[in-house]
Amino acid sequence: MKKNMISWIAQIIVIAILGMTLYGKFTDAPEVVELFSKIDMGPVGYKLIGAFELVACVMLLIPKSAIWGAILSWGLMSGALLGHITKIGFAGELGLLAGMAAVAWVLSCLIIFLRSRQVSFISKMFGAENPNDAH
Amino acid sequence: MTSSLHIDLHKISKFVNTSIPILFVLFLTSGIFISFYLHFLTIAFFFLMVVNFFYMNVQKEHVILKNFGIMGQARYMIESIGPEMRQYLFANDREERPFSREERSEVYRKAKNIDSASSFGSQQGFDSSEIKIRHTMFPTPKEKLESFSVTYGEERGLDSAYTINKPMMISAMSYGALGVNAVRSLARGAKLAGIPMNTGEGGYPKYHLMEDCDLIFQIGTAKFGVRDSEGLLDDSKLADIASKPQVKMIEIKFSQGAKPGKGGLLPKEKITDEIAELRGIQKGGDVVSPPFHPECDTVEHTVQFIKRVQDVSKLPTGFKVCLGKLSEFEILVEEMKRQNVFPDFISVDGAEGGTGAAPKAFLDGVGLPLAVGLHSVNDCLKRHGIRDKMKINASGKLISPGAQMIAFSLGADAIYSARGFMLSLGCIQALQCGNNTCPVGITTHDPELQKGLNIASRAIRVSNYVHNIEHDLEEILRATGCKNFSELSLENLYIPKNTVIGELNQGLTATKVAS
Repeated sequence: MKKNMISWIAQIIVIAILGMTLYGKFTDAPEVVELFSKIDMGPVGYKLIGAFELVACVMLLIPKSAIWGAILSWGLMSGALLGHITKIGFAGELGLLAGMAAVAWVLSCLIIFLRSRQVSFISKMFGAENPNDAH
Repeated sequence: MTSSLHIDLHKISKFVNTSIPILFVLFLTSGIFISFYLHFLTIAFFFLMVVNFFYMNVQKEHVILKNFGIMGQARYMIESIGPEMRQYLFANDREERPFSREERSEVYRKAKNIDSASSFGSQQGFDSSEIKIRHTMFPTPKEKLESFSVTYGEERGLDSAYTINKPMMISAMSYGALGVNAVRSLARGAKLAGIPMNTGEGGYPKYHLMEDCDLIFQIGTAKFGVRDSEGLLDDSKLADIASKPQVKMIEIKFSQGAKPGKGGLLPKEKITDEIAELRGIQKGGDVVSPPFHPECDTVEHTVQFIKRVQDVSKLPTGFKVCLGKLSEFEILVEEMKRQNVFPDFISVDGAEGGTGAAPKAFLDGVGLPLAVGLHSVNDCLKRHGIRDKMKINASGKLISPGAQMIAFSLGADAIYSARGFMLSLGCIQALQCGNNTCPVGITTHDPELQKGLNIASRAIRVSNYVHNIEHDLEEILRATGCKNFSELSLENLYIPKNTVIGELNQGLTATKVAS
């Protein structure tokens, strides 16, 4: 029960972080255009990423798919951090963005761990037994 | 063995485990120097790397994953579809259990009203060790065949005596074990075919009653539907259920073939709010019925309990039993004679019977097989001179007319089948009955899985199955030269020697075999 509560809190925070820049991505906000130009991504690129983020947010809201949403947001945040490390940098406002991405990345890991029992191949990462495997 | 085409799974997994980090680095570099889009692949391989790291270095439970990493998952993945693959492709027509494809096909064909004749000989591997039906040179002419009729309760001269005109009845399956659509399809099919249906021990038979077929109400050891607050029989509730016009007989369940000596079991996955209410139980855990009726702690009390149910219900009342110790049954019969109380029927369940969830040891190893149990009960009642006081129903894998004919010859008056009727509904033997995940919607309460089970069309299949079984039984009966099923006896069977039932046939008393 407690695990479930923690997971839900983490899910809400991740959704908030992912959701913050979503609107900008779909309305071609100047700061989004500028940010993505640093990694040579045009409208197709950031709209594609925005679409993935939207899917992740929706999946995080549904209990049955929350873990898959967390895996997706983990991947997206990994990409964001990779961008900051290799191209974008951490100067000023950018450092804050990178920090939020890092928070979302850690919380996504937490959600995956807390909900690992929902997916057999993930639960086995932590040594759990799947009753259907006992052949 | 060395060969240039040899597949070495160890080497493949090592190759994969080395390739993942290399590919990760490769895509990372090209992501930096060529296009950021390539980082989609970087992240994918990063994910695989993390999973692989956990498999090989963090978890300690799974040896295969620890030794071979992510490639070890192939074993779990492929094995998980093993049952389906075996059934679809690899298992031959006679090797599946409990029912081979050949046995299931016969039911499917009967249910779909398709001719079930086959050509070029039997699929059985004959070695003279199987029981056979002896035919006569002078079969009974069709017009001399007497129509099937068995009346329960006639021995006690009951006004409520109940006559069946078809040799088959639907055996006990509760709402709980089966979903709503399955119960209603069976009940509607029973109504169409004119046969009674046993409600099982699942409490108030709400959905069984809906289709207006004749019912046999079963009282399980937990007395669902007729229990008081302490789990004992509540006379007023029983009288209330027995007064319903659809309820024709009462069956007290002492034991069942799936788990003789153990109470009914409903796994927690299958307990909905409604089932909890109909049975008067709590949700959240498996529901395990007690192994015996609290009222029936001695032989004397057992017979008194039968009398009590007969008096309260005013209906033909019998009991269902899977035989264990035959000496106990002898004592029970003697007590019946002493008290002059006889059940109107005994349903003998073979240990091979069983739709229900049960511990494997009970399924496989406890209880007498039907042929031995049925013959022993029949023989015991005859020796005590009370065979004409009651009827005997037989159940336990009796899904085909051949097996049913053998049961009639061993002393049965009528046949009970549960799984035969499940197959007629479209059961594909996925063996998921206890998991609430039945793919054909029979033993599940999941509305998504039940929606494929159309009540109207399935009811017709149930009815077809009964009619085609009846037709086949009559044909075999004529071949034996008998005019009705009660004329059948061991004389009509070829029973090989050196088998338990063969020894019975050679004149050993059943008691000797059992002790």
